[in-house]
Amino acid sequence: MRKGILALALCWWASSAMAVGNIDVLARTCNNCHGLNGVSAGTTMPSIGGLPRGYLSKIMKEWKYDKRVAATMNRIVKGLSDDEIDALATYFARKPWVPVPQKTSAATYAKGKATITENCEDCHGATGNDPDEGAPRINGQWAEYMALELEKYREEEFLMPHRKMKKTVRKLKESEVYPVSEYYGAQNQ
Amino acid sequence: MTQAFDRRAFIKAIAGASSASILTIPSAHAAKTKARVVVVGGGYGGATAAKYLRVMDPGIEVTLIERETLYTSCPLSNEVISGERDIKTLQVGYKGLLKRGVNVVHDEVVNIDPAKKIVATAGGKSFDYDALILSPGVDFNFGTVEGYNEQLAQTKLHHAWKAGPQTLLLKKQLEAMPDGGTFIIAVPKGPFRCPPGPYERAAQVAMYCKHHGKAKSKVLILDSNDSFSKKPLFEQAWKELYGYGQGGMIEWVAAANDGTLKRVDAEKMMCFTDFGEYKGDVINIIPPHHAGKVAKNLGLATFKNLWCEVKPENMESKSQKDIYVIGDACVGGELATNNGFPKSAHMAMSQAKVVVASLVAKFNGLPPPEPIYTNTCYSVVAHDWGFSVVHLYRVDNGQWVYIKNGSGISPVTLGTKEAPKPVPRMYRKLEAEYADGWLRNVMSDAFL
Repeated sequence: MRKGILALALCWWASSAMAVGNIDVLARTCNNCHGLNGVSAGTTMPSIGGLPRGYLSKIMKEWKYDKRVAATMNRIVKGLSDDEIDALATYFARKPWVPVPQKTSAATYAKGKATITENCEDCHGATGNDPDEGAPRINGQWAEYMALELEKYREEEFLMPHRKMKKTVRKLKESEVYPVSEYYGAQNQ
Repeated sequence: MTQAFDRRAFIKAIAGASSASILTIPSAHAAKTKARVVVVGGGYGGATAAKYLRVMDPGIEVTLIERETLYTSCPLSNEVISGERDIKTLQVGYKGLLKRGVNVVHDEVVNIDPAKKIVATAGGKSFDYDALILSPGVDFNFGTVEGYNEQLAQTKLHHAWKAGPQTLLLKKQLEAMPDGGTFIIAVPKGPFRCPPGPYERAAQVAMYCKHHGKAKSKVLILDSNDSFSKKPLFEQAWKELYGYGQGGMIEWVAAANDGTLKRVDAEKMMCFTDFGEYKGDVINIIPPHHAGKVAKNLGLATFKNLWCEVKPENMESKSQKDIYVIGDACVGGELATNNGFPKSAHMAMSQAKVVVASLVAKFNGLPPPEPIYTNTCYSVVAHDWGFSVVHLYRVDNGQWVYIKNGSGISPVTLGTKEAPKPVPRMYRKLEAEYADGWLRNVMSDAFL
């Protein structure tokens, strides 16, 4: 019985691996900008290891099919098949989420905490570590990256998905963008 | 197990801690040595190859031979010239690789015997290999411009095309340049290391002049080529930020307009093309270059006697078995359509990962994995204005195929062809910010 399950599992693994070539080779090309195992060392680039599979797959397809603006990623993913995108999403979703240590001041942290709303908590969790499948974890994500991402939501000329996110973010004052980002960035370290 | 290790190593590394005990690869001593790989050259390509061999298979013994103990990143070193960046942010040593279990040897390779598979160094050491990865970067040809030589490059007419001491010397010359002075950048015929580099440098120099009371100065690019990387993006930014062409700060003279530098008079600080002469206050000559000597002396530079030809499936030299050439020294990509591999750090790292995947499979008796090559390269023309180019190559029927759909430059305009709209400044700002994140990640992915 056990052998049967194992054989079935192997069979599944082999067929899905064959469909997209060697996914490890492809995934390692992502490491240049997102770090080994998807843990980013650059403050403006997000860590991606351990993000929900659904979120990773969705965002890459949104870029691929021009439903969401990006500065660089939208060009990169256009060369990948949907199967490769799904396989990459699975690969990175299986990695552990590693919050990165960041500095923030007590005042900024307090301001950030006071600024977040129920809307933020609904999808990301109160401390950013309990995301819906379609939303990213943000506890210990790089604050600088998150602030830039919020700026993208605030820029009316940018095509961004998710009405709730747009509405929530556009209510923020400019002076609240960094504190909110730093609040979530400082979680779980 | 390796995942937990990587995590700890990373956190330790970014925290600047140096406790070695926890960072030793646990299975290194337990695993029997499956193969010995020697890597020559500890730049982005070589460091990545050494690191990833250890990460992917601790049973492989890896020796990295590199002259210097401190590496200075070429990418973003133009920002050092303009004073926007401290050179220390571009520097990294080899401790990270030591912690990965790489045997790092600071020495110079004097001989390679491909028949016996032995590398010998100036320090009198020799290393046997099952596979040899050469990532020697480039060496310069100082003989193409009359009146120019290697000594002048060190004393007066710096190239600063290998980041380090010359980068700082060029910065000093720029600082000493009077308002109204001319900064000449002479660009060699391509292909050269960092295709957008000279044009990014022009912008960084102009930015320095604009912000440091030298707004009457000029940046003159004397080019041996008729086009260049990310041209529409550079021209747009130059025009908007610094003035471009007649009356602007930046002027570009194409080869077709007699831009090729033929002779220089270092005494009088004069540059001569076929019919033109230009007085420079700073003259920055980038000499033409070729595959690093260690590869060239071995006869591997079979492409126009300049660059090393390699096999698309695994970067193995076309002329020597078990020797792999990666980084700026090699030639690859879709040459027929003018889509060759750009000589960039990211590309070198991507090539390194292809070699590693191929070798790990080979040493473990597994079929060779399908290779994939990518590149991402940012240029920063002001602190809040950047743009990029990306490349994707696959291998089909033993040939490189340039994937147009996964490649290309940042948009020059948005909207439609008939009704173009300007790209929001936020977009350019994002890419300038991403350039810094990119730098920290490529340095970390290669060296830590």
